[in-house]
Amino acid sequence: MRIGLLTEGGYPFVSGDAGLWCDRLVRGLEQHEFDIHALSRSRRQRDEGFVPLPPQARRVRTAPLWTAEDDGVAHGRRARRRFTECYAELVAAVCAGAEAGSGTGPDTGPEAGSADLADRFANALYGLAELAREEGGLVGALRSDAAVRTLERACRAPGALRTAHEARVPDLLTVATHLERALRPLSLDWYDEDGLGAADLCHATAGGTAALPGLVARHFAGVPLLVTEYGVQLRTHYLTLGPDTAAPAVRALLASFHGRLTAEVYRRAEVLTPGNAHARRWQERCGADRSRIRTVYPGMADARFTEVGECPDRSDPDTLVWVGRVEPAKDLFSLLHAFAEVRKEEPGARLRIVGAPAGPEGEAYLGHCRALAAQLFPDEADGVHAVGDNPVSFERIGGPEVPTLPDAYASGAVVVLSSVVEGFPIGLIEAMFCGRATVSTDAGAVVEVIGGTGLVVPPRNPRALAEACVALLRDPERRERLGAAARARALELFTVEQNIAAFHGIYLEIVSHCPVRRVLLDDAGDPLPFATPAESRIPGRWTGPTVRPLPRAVPAWATGAPVRATPPTAAEGAR
Amino acid sequence: MSGRRAQDTGAGHRGDGTREDAVPGGDRRAASVPGAPDRPRTPSGADPWDQRAGEWPPPEETAVTVPPAAVPPPRGPSVRTAQGAGPRERPAPAPRRGAVDPVKALLHRHRELCERAVDPLEIAAGLEAHGVTDRAAARFRHRDVFSLAEELYARVPRDGEPHQDTDAPPVPRVRARWVLLTLLPGALAAATVAGLRLAHGQPRPLVALGGLLAVALATRAALRRGPLSGEPGTRAWRTSNGARACTLWLLGYALLGDGLLHAVMTGGPDTLPTGTPDGPWPTACASVLALTLACAPAAWCAHLFTAGARRRLAGSRGLEDFAAAAKPLLFGTVTLFFGALTALLLLCGTALREDAAYPQGLSLGALLLLARLLVVHHRRHAPALALGAATAAEAMAVALPAAGRLPGCAFLTTPVETVVNAWGEAAVPALACGAAALSLLLHAVRTLTGASAHAPSGAPE
Repeated sequence: MRIGLLTEGGYPFVSGDAGLWCDRLVRGLEQHEFDIHALSRSRRQRDEGFVPLPPQARRVRTAPLWTAEDDGVAHGRRARRRFTECYAELVAAVCAGAEAGSGTGPDTGPEAGSADLADRFANALYGLAELAREEGGLVGALRSDAAVRTLERACRAPGALRTAHEARVPDLLTVATHLERALRPLSLDWYDEDGLGAADLCHATAGGTAALPGLVARHFAGVPLLVTEYGVQLRTHYLTLGPDTAAPAVRALLASFHGRLTAEVYRRAEVLTPGNAHARRWQERCGADRSRIRTVYPGMADARFTEVGECPDRSDPDTLVWVGRVEPAKDLFSLLHAFAEVRKEEPGARLRIVGAPAGPEGEAYLGHCRALAAQLFPDEADGVHAVGDNPVSFERIGGPEVPTLPDAYASGAVVVLSSVVEGFPIGLIEAMFCGRATVSTDAGAVVEVIGGTGLVVPPRNPRALAEACVALLRDPERRERLGAAARARALELFTVEQNIAAFHGIYLEIVSHCPVRRVLLDDAGDPLPFATPAESRIPGRWTGPTVRPLPRAVPAWATGAPVRATPPTAAEGAR
Repeated sequence: MSGRRAQDTGAGHRGDGTREDAVPGGDRRAASVPGAPDRPRTPSGADPWDQRAGEWPPPEETAVTVPPAAVPPPRGPSVRTAQGAGPRERPAPAPRRGAVDPVKALLHRHRELCERAVDPLEIAAGLEAHGVTDRAAARFRHRDVFSLAEELYARVPRDGEPHQDTDAPPVPRVRARWVLLTLLPGALAAATVAGLRLAHGQPRPLVALGGLLAVALATRAALRRGPLSGEPGTRAWRTSNGARACTLWLLGYALLGDGLLHAVMTGGPDTLPTGTPDGPWPTACASVLALTLACAPAAWCAHLFTAGARRRLAGSRGLEDFAAAAKPLLFGTVTLFFGALTALLLLCGTALREDAAYPQGLSLGALLLLARLLVVHHRRHAPALALGAATAAEAMAVALPAAGRLPGCAFLTTPVETVVNAWGEAAVPALACGAAALSLLLHAVRTLTGASAHAPSGAPE
């Protein structure tokens, strides 16, 4: 199959987010061809170039999202009128507010009105895409005075958001500029027969703007869309566009726009693959159909943990280990207080905190933690002649005690996680791969990851944390059982192979359910049967000397009266 | 785990799906917590709920409806967990009685987030960033964070307080660097003219060549910084090569064109220009010197225009307001430049004891200023067109009489001859540049008074 991989500020660029995952995906599915379509976020990112690409990455097309460059396309009068009509519809749907239509939940206002607004938004979006395809780029038009005037009219219209009524001229300009950037994928030349139009499947690696080319390709060529979200784009948008970044009107309008765009992506995507239950809940909340959501956990390379996980436990049975980046959200204070409780029960217990501080804030936090540890636990020595040592040690990966990450996990009998805020806990999965018993706080996706293979306590509860730790420290057999179960669970759910196999299956499922119906004709205008097999795209020609793809045109033989070869019921069933 | 239990009951009694049930839920919890003061009190939340609250069963029945197990115990850490959801808040030491409704405490803690949020999902995202999970939301009698966020969003009073922060694009500042740079071309041109006046014989062509080169470089530098340069980091303002060539031609014509035209009309030219105003091919140094000196007032005018437009942008409520306010600003800017250029022409004319050539100088100056203003504000097409048209007109004016010398083509000379006979050689550049400047002025009135010409190039990401 030919997969159109859509990324934004991500994969093929050296400094992209989520690059590792995409790289593994492309390398893992070498039986498919990948056309990578990447949107770059900054000049620096573009100039840094690409990571080395495997041969199945057939081509890479990039487009900048950051330039203020005008494409110099001047539309005619009719195109301008069409643009104004579409844009007016779009911003009218945006100004009506996100609440009116973002969710399909029971408590989001009148259902019919919201569906109508979503349809208006979608139609306007595709109208703009068609305009861009027929008349050339929209960058100039989206920045023009006509666009700003249309936006102002929509904001002042009755029924618009209350905050939108307050929008002043600078706010309108900011919104128009932002919309121009967000809609820039519409103006790209990616949708022709050579680009995304020829793909069997579009795989967007994020929602929002990254998935917009997929929506357009779906609209033009019927290419099914798969959207993978490891972090919900809409949520990221809310967090980055905080109260101090812009005026309320700007934030309200942009939130509404992104809400609508996200809802449209979720509505049109054939399959959504959130990375965890949290992303899944956001997707459901924003109107995704439950039946089309498949959670695909991110995969991690497990080879380096195999040795630690398979070998019998050589660790000090009294040692607790915490591994991670030191920052306030990890709540090490709570861990230290809990460890004080543990020491009351188990005087020989030790705690190793392994990790580097994250940024200056983490640096300061680590200092506070050291101070607290020194206060809570005086140095201890074996006898009057020995040099003392603190039961809590702060170490870094690469130091003499812990040369590698697996060593850090191997050095403890119990791995502790004390975060109050957590996304997808990578450290916990690593500990599971290492076959360690874990005690973690119930934050983020911890419960989902650990299943029943470790202990979970409420966050900010040192006493509960201490009790769980003591229970595990006193029971080596239970530790072993939990560790083995955790490793088995991690190998089942969080390996790279699992991730790639899941995507492979989903690709085949999508293509079998909604194949792109292309008719390939030979020179004489006769259709070529089996010219586009779903399962493989063979390089070179194999069905004839010249094959012309005609995806949308009706061939000559099809204009006559239909000849029914099979009973209609069978034809219905085949669909 | 208590979280799981609480979540189940939360989902169960949220069957009606409205957000109003949370406050009665809080009441129920208040009533069922042992030791809570069981006395009637006015509802502390928003008012519409107090009619509803009366419809709920009395507290004894409520305690039966909600299993006591679902209520977090009033002592111990899990209550503290429920109420201390912010990451920086240390849990309060005293066990809190359930007398106040728990959502209100949460609202108090996240008041700023809730007040400034533009929709419930933003509150949900903020709460999650502070570590509130679905299980924590269940302790507030909510199915998930989203419905909790909806209640918070609905309960926060947002009576449209006007926001003070008008985040207008920043007004550009006057910097010594570009002020000095804009003075440089004029100074170099003056030096060159002085050198030409003083030098005789061999060094004159060298002085002229060096001076031209220096002035060109200085002009280029002056246009790269300050208000005549557009926003840094973007390439949208960059002049196309065609427009640049046209500008050079126009300036060259201002220097030599009238003499050339005169020579062509009278059968010449026979010699190269000597750089003096009274040769067979005279050069008009005064107007070109005034134009190079006018770089400084042009930059100031552009600065005033940009700064004034930004200020009006921040102050105007609608696009119509802005257009109405920007129009006089544009006319004022152009008039100011006209005045400055006239003064400079007068000055140069007197100093060099030449004809100041007001029509050519003024029309060309206006044309260049308007073209630059438009280019700086992302309108590249029209300036290139106008400059090209003026250039073509001037080139034709020279080429047609020259071509008229060919046998049988004498009729080609007629239009130029008519114009020159009527108004003199100066009429050709004045007409060409004046018409182009006028059309650009009309274009500028339409485009530069629109807000999109003054849009910031960066968007919040």
